[in-house]
Amino acid sequence: MTGIQLLLIFGVSLLGIYYVIRLKKTVVDLMLMMLLILTAIGFILWPELTNKIANGLGVGRGADLVYYVCILLFSFALLKLYSRMRRLEQEFTKLVREDALKKVEKH
Amino acid sequence: MDKGNIHIVIPVYNHGEKLGEVVQSLTSEGYKNIILVNDGSENAQFPACLPPGITYIEHRVNLGQGAALQTGFTQALKDGAGIIVSFDADGQHVASDLEILISPLITGEADVTLGSRFLAAYQNPMPPVKIILLKTARLINYLFTGMMLSDAHNGLRAMNKQAVEKIRITENRMAHATEILFEIKKYGLVVKEVPVKVRYTDYSRSHGQSPWNSIKIFFDILFYKLFA
Repeated sequence: MTGIQLLLIFGVSLLGIYYVIRLKKTVVDLMLMMLLILTAIGFILWPELTNKIANGLGVGRGADLVYYVCILLFSFALLKLYSRMRRLEQEFTKLVREDALKKVEKH
Repeated sequence: MDKGNIHIVIPVYNHGEKLGEVVQSLTSEGYKNIILVNDGSENAQFPACLPPGITYIEHRVNLGQGAALQTGFTQALKDGAGIIVSFDADGQHVASDLEILISPLITGEADVTLGSRFLAAYQNPMPPVKIILLKTARLINYLFTGMMLSDAHNGLRAMNKQAVEKIRITENRMAHATEILFEIKKYGLVVKEVPVKVRYTDYSRSHGQSPWNSIKIFFDILFYKLFA
């Protein structure tokens, strides 16, 4: 095992542990997360696997494929976060407005 | 003109130095229904300096000018307003312009009137950077709304009750100016631009928007289009 493999496995495991401790939800969520982490570790240990998939999809190297998929996933996560932020802001605005309109001062 | 059912909404955040003068100028023109929305200013000593007859609303935290306007509009409708005007707190608008701003609403010629500093016969001296920014904003507004207006971000507007009841501002910050245009289009409201004066004093310049802000507005509009 190379240094980078150790580092990546350590990082991915940390993510998994954090997820279980802080964001634990349903059993399904946990199982999905476990599956993702095991897949990640699998690809880290046997990188040739990603090469094979990449070649099948018409991408030269496995690392490139991972990079492309990451961009997609991150963009998606960013959009999700943004729309959630917007929704929260709207709810917050509504609360502040209702509060303000309750205490109108007529001079 | 009956000024009894005209309600003027002034959003204010922190810079209340000119507020007394602004309110004074409006009351001396005969506008008695003034709604002041303090958008979570850190210096909350406004109520002390206000003349009687004013409605004072305070957001507990700062939400942005768009949110403050919407709060003021909601209150104005509650108070039975027939016509609602938005007016800036920094003294850049002139109270005597209100008459010509409001008259198309009274005659039924328009549902919404927008103040434009570029239609006036007398052009205010404007900093060159500001001119470029406003022209760009105008183009962006056109691309997003299909409405080619002579002025893009003028805080002086008047709307009749029906328009205010329909329009919902959800853009808390400065992109609300474009959002109002979306809403106007959505509900098929009749718009008219009216020439108004804008005073550029050292004071308003120092509290105006920076170029950086217009980039933020652009992205707000873009995201609004994507998500709203």
